[in-house]
Amino acid sequence: MPELYLALLDRILTPILFVLAVVFLIVGHNEPGGGFIAGLVVATAFLMQILARGDDFVRKLIGIYLQPTMGAGLIIAIFSAVLSLPEGGFLYGVWWKIPLGGDFVLEIGSPTLFDIGVFLVVSAFVTSYLLELSRPATGKRR
Amino acid sequence: MDVNANWLAAPIAFPLIGAALSLLASTRVTRRQTRTQRIIAALFSLINLGVAIFLLSVTAIGEQRMTLQVGLWPAPFGITLFADGLSAIMLTLTALLMVCLVFYAMGTLDEREGLNFYPLLLFLLMGVNGAFVAGDLFNLYVFFEVLLMASFVLLSLGGRPGQVNGGLRYVLLNLLASTVFLATTGVVYGVLGTLNLAHLAARIDAAPDSLRVLLAGMLLVAYGSKAGLFPLFFWLPASYHTPHPAVTAIFGGLLTKVGIYALFRIYPLLFPDLLVAWQPLILTIAALTMLVGVFGAMAVNTIRRVLSFHVISQVGYMVMGLGLAASGNQLMVGFGMAAGIFYVVHHMIVKTALLMAGGAAELTMGTGRLETGYLGGLVKRSPALAVVFFLAAFSLAGIPPSSGFISKLGLLQTALDAQQWWIAAVSLVVSLLTLMSMVRLWQKGFAGPMEDVVPPPRRPNQRLAIAPIAVLVAVSLSIGIFSGPFFQWSRVAASQALDRAGYIRAVNPTDEIAPISLEANP
Repeated sequence: MPELYLALLDRILTPILFVLAVVFLIVGHNEPGGGFIAGLVVATAFLMQILARGDDFVRKLIGIYLQPTMGAGLIIAIFSAVLSLPEGGFLYGVWWKIPLGGDFVLEIGSPTLFDIGVFLVVSAFVTSYLLELSRPATGKRR
Repeated sequence: MDVNANWLAAPIAFPLIGAALSLLASTRVTRRQTRTQRIIAALFSLINLGVAIFLLSVTAIGEQRMTLQVGLWPAPFGITLFADGLSAIMLTLTALLMVCLVFYAMGTLDEREGLNFYPLLLFLLMGVNGAFVAGDLFNLYVFFEVLLMASFVLLSLGGRPGQVNGGLRYVLLNLLASTVFLATTGVVYGVLGTLNLAHLAARIDAAPDSLRVLLAGMLLVAYGSKAGLFPLFFWLPASYHTPHPAVTAIFGGLLTKVGIYALFRIYPLLFPDLLVAWQPLILTIAALTMLVGVFGAMAVNTIRRVLSFHVISQVGYMVMGLGLAASGNQLMVGFGMAAGIFYVVHHMIVKTALLMAGGAAELTMGTGRLETGYLGGLVKRSPALAVVFFLAAFSLAGIPPSSGFISKLGLLQTALDAQQWWIAAVSLVVSLLTLMSMVRLWQKGFAGPMEDVVPPPRRPNQRLAIAPIAVLVAVSLSIGIFSGPFFQWSRVAASQALDRAGYIRAVNPTDEIAPISLEANP
């Protein structure tokens, strides 16, 4: 059941929520935030879409990608855990410094990778959860 | 033998990778995707079996303990993974059952039912494996939750009202037990300031007696409820007969035994004196569990309900082993524990085989009811199934030369040695009643006249459904015939589980927070 006001509002809010999610994901390494919270924010954005445009719209848009996204997130998280096997052991944190020219150095570590995995799992899982909950009760069963 | 401790992470990592790959392969219900998921599940359960056997060879046969400090943080500050003989035996059994179950599920589930069954099974495997290697109380709780969630979805996968009903009872009562467990964990942390099991074992002697009694009691309630002990077993018969037979088979073989493992791990480690002081209590619980289970089995009338009540009665025998763990006159102390562990080994294999066979009978005939006019004549209709059921049932009842005979003999020896005549008598009576119940199943379900019920249109793939049962029955028989090495491993596992100082030394908790060197944790 599309709503006019919500449909207008979500054109403004949805991009902001996605950007916010990425910000949370990146700052989460040192400050409040992180993969779990960013995943929840993404799910909120999709919840907005469900309310504004109906659950069928969202299901057609992203429905088939949800389970593979969870799988990909888990794979990334496990990859970050086994990545450090030669350097110290399972789930040991390792960092790489990537020079970006000038004084800038990008320091990226396996915890960030783990966080990205968590982000993908949580966003896909909570979204699929919301999609199932918003399925009309009289609709045909899967 | 010097082994890389990172192998301890493998029983958690491999099932998770398998589950993730199967999720990657699933977009919508198609024949091809279910096939991909099957292949992945078969592959990763076999890998997991290999890893588990390797860990068994290091710990139970090599008589070592393995410790992994995750992320190189020292013991009470980081996550500790730990395996000794007890953990490795449980891991190996779990892996064996999973391999058999994956193939059994291929034979019995149709494509629609099978969708996402295999990733959930791998998540369940990860939770169970994690509980067996967890080295601290909180991670034990977390892995209990992982397996609870996976098992809840598996229970209600078919979506029929009965299944949702059973699933709800299961999840509510188990969440209640988890709440008690979590509350206990909170009390432990608040009072002792640590959750690492080795650190707790080192510190708990300084705690006041009242606190230790409280913790031991609360943990007994939490694990006892998970294990299906009297009087907290009622969730089990309410839910185990509703899902698909493949799900019942793995639950009956595996899930209650995670609670038993937790009791076997925590009690000798944290409350060794209570094993002596509470012996009458533990033995009474064991006796009541055995009796209630076996009487319940006589009162119900479908094949899977009968077998689920036997799960309860058998759990009583294992707890009897725990109750006798600290006593010994002629036999060495710890013989009871070894007999209990041996009983777990026997039970997990045989019970899964029986539930698989019962489920296959139910699927073949379209009904599991034991009254006249429903099941019957399976000897003629499916002779191979009848043979494996017969062998498994007699192993459960404890007829030589099956593993059931040896494991019951071990428990009986310990009970007589500890001069607990009454529990010995109870276990013998329950054994007899189990035999009667098995004979009833045989007569009503398999031997009787061929009933002219209309079989369901889709019968299970006989070869794929019966081969895993035959494998399990063969393992049970070989454990019974070549019981020497198996009992020796159980004794190693029991002595390791009862040796607190060895556990503390292996984990080596410190009070200083400093990353440990690479050499200390190769």
